[in-house]
Amino acid sequence: MSATKIDDRIVRVDAMEKARGEALYVSDIKFPGMIYGTLVRSSIARGKIISINVPDLPEGYSFITADDIPEEGRNELWMIAKDWRCFASGDVKYVGETIGILCGPDRNMLSYLKERIKVEYEEEVPAVTIDDALSLKGGPIAGEDNIMCSLYCEKGEKMDDVFRKADSIFEETLETGFQEHVHLETNSAIVRLEDGRFTFYISAQCPFYVRKSVAGLLGLRPEDIVVKQTTTGGAFGGKEHFPDVLAGPLLVACNKIRKPIKLVFEREEDMLYSVKRHPSKVLFKTALDKEGNILGIDGKIYYNCGAYLSASYVVLQRGVFHANGVYDIPSTHLVGYGVATNTFPSDAFRGFGAPQTLFAIEMHLSHIARKFGFDPAEYKSRYFLKKGSETVTNGHIVEDVKLPEMFRQIADASDYERKSKEYEIGSGKGIGISFYNHGGAFTGNGEQAIIKAHARLVKTGDRVRIEVGSTEMGQGFQTALRKIAANALEIDISRVDYPNPDTSRVPDSGPTAASRSTMVVGKIVEDCALEMKARWDEGDFSVEKEYVHPDGHPWDQDTFRGDAYLGYGWGACIVEVEVDKLTNEVTTKGIWSSHDVGKAIDELIVHGQVNGGVIQSLGYASMEKMENRNGHFRQSSMSDYVVPTSMDFPKQEWFLVDNPYQWGPQGAKGMGELVFNGADAAYTDAVERALGATICKIPIPPEDIEEAIDNAR
Amino acid sequence: MAVRNYIPETLEEALTLRMNEHAVPLAGGSDIMVQHRKGMGIAPDLDKPVMIISNLQELKGISRRDDGYIEIRALETPASIAASELVPWHVRQAASRMGAIALRNVATIGGNIGNASPKGDLPQPLILLDAEVVLVSLTSERRMLLDQFILGSKKTALADDEIIKSVLIPEKEFTHLFYRKIGTRRANAISKLSLSAAAVVRDGIIEDFRASSGAAGPKVIRSREAESLLTKRQISEIPEIADDFIAAWDRAISPHAMPVYRRNTTSRMLLHFLEALQDEERSGIIE
Repeated sequence: MSATKIDDRIVRVDAMEKARGEALYVSDIKFPGMIYGTLVRSSIARGKIISINVPDLPEGYSFITADDIPEEGRNELWMIAKDWRCFASGDVKYVGETIGILCGPDRNMLSYLKERIKVEYEEEVPAVTIDDALSLKGGPIAGEDNIMCSLYCEKGEKMDDVFRKADSIFEETLETGFQEHVHLETNSAIVRLEDGRFTFYISAQCPFYVRKSVAGLLGLRPEDIVVKQTTTGGAFGGKEHFPDVLAGPLLVACNKIRKPIKLVFEREEDMLYSVKRHPSKVLFKTALDKEGNILGIDGKIYYNCGAYLSASYVVLQRGVFHANGVYDIPSTHLVGYGVATNTFPSDAFRGFGAPQTLFAIEMHLSHIARKFGFDPAEYKSRYFLKKGSETVTNGHIVEDVKLPEMFRQIADASDYERKSKEYEIGSGKGIGISFYNHGGAFTGNGEQAIIKAHARLVKTGDRVRIEVGSTEMGQGFQTALRKIAANALEIDISRVDYPNPDTSRVPDSGPTAASRSTMVVGKIVEDCALEMKARWDEGDFSVEKEYVHPDGHPWDQDTFRGDAYLGYGWGACIVEVEVDKLTNEVTTKGIWSSHDVGKAIDELIVHGQVNGGVIQSLGYASMEKMENRNGHFRQSSMSDYVVPTSMDFPKQEWFLVDNPYQWGPQGAKGMGELVFNGADAAYTDAVERALGATICKIPIPPEDIEEAIDNAR
Repeated sequence: MAVRNYIPETLEEALTLRMNEHAVPLAGGSDIMVQHRKGMGIAPDLDKPVMIISNLQELKGISRRDDGYIEIRALETPASIAASELVPWHVRQAASRMGAIALRNVATIGGNIGNASPKGDLPQPLILLDAEVVLVSLTSERRMLLDQFILGSKKTALADDEIIKSVLIPEKEFTHLFYRKIGTRRANAISKLSLSAAAVVRDGIIEDFRASSGAAGPKVIRSREAESLLTKRQISEIPEIADDFIAAWDRAISPHAMPVYRRNTTSRMLLHFLEALQDEERSGIIE
């Protein structure tokens, strides 16, 4: 066996066991005496609970509610705030809110009993949309104004002065919809007592989040609870905080019943009763001079947070910080509002608030460019951020920005300039472009101030075990991290182990989120490995290190001023389409992308992420429509909530640029979210050009294209 | 909760079960098992006995009959229908676009008709072609137009002692053919809207004109009233008839969801087909 090097093309370390069906998911795991749980949920969006009528339960069956939380516990899940109740009590705030968990040995009987639990409500008028909430439909849900959280950023001159100087003002509202994660494996968990400790086997991104979130239900400390991540079949952010919503009721139930309990969501439950991407509404008002140059942008950003705050404030922050896209706008004022509604709480989803504002700014600038007769690519490139440019948080870009080079790559490959000129607006053919970025890791000094990630390497004989709380969820992190360690240790990757984390055995390396794992955790592991390499002959030992934040990059979390991100991933995407004028069906003829991820730790994995992220973004733009009527999601299955198949989009041409990040392992930055952040706008731009219509809202399936065409007439 | 289920070995046995217990025939199960699904590890919620008829040889086969009909027996799958050169073009097109590959190998034409979903793929071209269904019971056999058999969304004229035995499609040559299914995506898709059209044009005269709309109302829609505006007319008259024809068709369809899109797209597709009829250079399959 030879030493594994970063540039080696290797087979994913988890590929074989997954392909062969040998990997064990929660659904596959059974324990002696294990019973099943099923959640009893609110069937209305808003109202008071008058009564809960439970039929006589046979022996061995229990119905657990808020009343079963012991005195020393509190009915709250601790995500970022503690507002999300484990069990609804007294009232319900959204369809699908957990009221209780019904447990017992036979799933047929559970199904029969569940249908016979009757909850009586006094219904109230729900607020479902951002507009409903802002008009306080049905009365406020949160505070006095339904604004759960807000923040602003400003840069340059005061907006009043900017608008006074403007020759014209361009205003528009851009909107995005709900998006469902559709991870292949639905949410699922098992709880049981192991050596007297409550122990979870759970499909989750962040095992340490789970124990912190639920411990308070029983008045326990997080370290009293053990969380073992099981092989996780996809997550996309949908298993960042949401597993807490399964773990909480399970913990309260296990505390009473003292048996192993398994809870596995049906696909329909996972669609209807799980977190979604925040719908957004962005109002841009842009001051322009005679020639169409931008003097300043005023932006109001609204995100629909649902009934509980969950991670929404952090999502909103990222949305605001990305709201000028990859552009250096001379003056800007951006304010974000997180709006409370009676929908299932919105939460983390690949991109974490950035895709919504990036879509908005990309479409907005394309519309301005077209109005003044410029090609969107040429117009946008005038404003590209560069190293040293001031950001919307009054910090600076600390790295080289390779967007001009990236644009050249995809423009040449797609013949963009020729097609952009030749395809007439409204001809049925269109080519579109977008530029985007994604700030890597937690904002500002969050990695140092909040997360304080630790990682450990343990050497036993000639094998090395990685101990971190970071998880493989399909994105390829086991491969990436083992490769980073093997490369630094100069040993073969097969000698490096990285089992699924168990919180009782590994240090907390922070959540597997925010495109931070390779960039931040990978770096700590690399540093551990380099030390281990130097001390290799010392026998069996371990090395543990904590994240060190680079000096000289101030951040004030109270005012949101400073260097929000030290390393961004950057992207550029071109999409070419043809629209069938009879049916509005869009055929995508080509997809070209270029990404700056610093340095690819594993090119095959990066390729997989590019393919998947771009297609997921195209699905978001074109077909993934999740509607909500009176608080009820209307799409409940994979045949009515459609995600793209391999037939829907052609093979992609993709490029990477090398731009090593000085504080990342081998120069790597984050990339898992970046690749989602821009294809939607390139697609929409292409469709607009093909139709000669203006599109301000996605998704845009054929029936909504009809509306856009009508509006253009 | 529990019901008895059966696996009859002959058609006669199946018809006896149908008569005595009104057992529901299950062929591929791709509708019944979805409609009655209760969840992982939970028995499906069946309110009537089910009989699995997948093995009945009497209900298999595609053949050309001497009386000018193509017969497709009820257990034939979309995959086999799409692959058969005996089957008319429109029906093969629809069969080849149904659901996913796996579904096309287990679903059956009998099930697709019997389920009578407005979004069902096969009834739409079959009704275009004036296909008939053959219904059998222990004591009788009867034939009726599929258009009359399907009464509405999920409603058919099937008696509770009958089984769908086969579909008969009259053989007919058309000079112009059109088929479009607009699915929710390109594969593994449910129909958002579909349209078939066919015409026989000879010496500038429209001898036969017909169309059928799927997913545009509670059942497949053919408007004889609209069709009659065009039949026996000269193609040179199409420009003056077109508006009335489109208006008549638009009155006939009644899409519930996405009405504007479904109406406008249907009109555009029909006009596109009418334009092709006027162009003497174009015939055969109209793209």
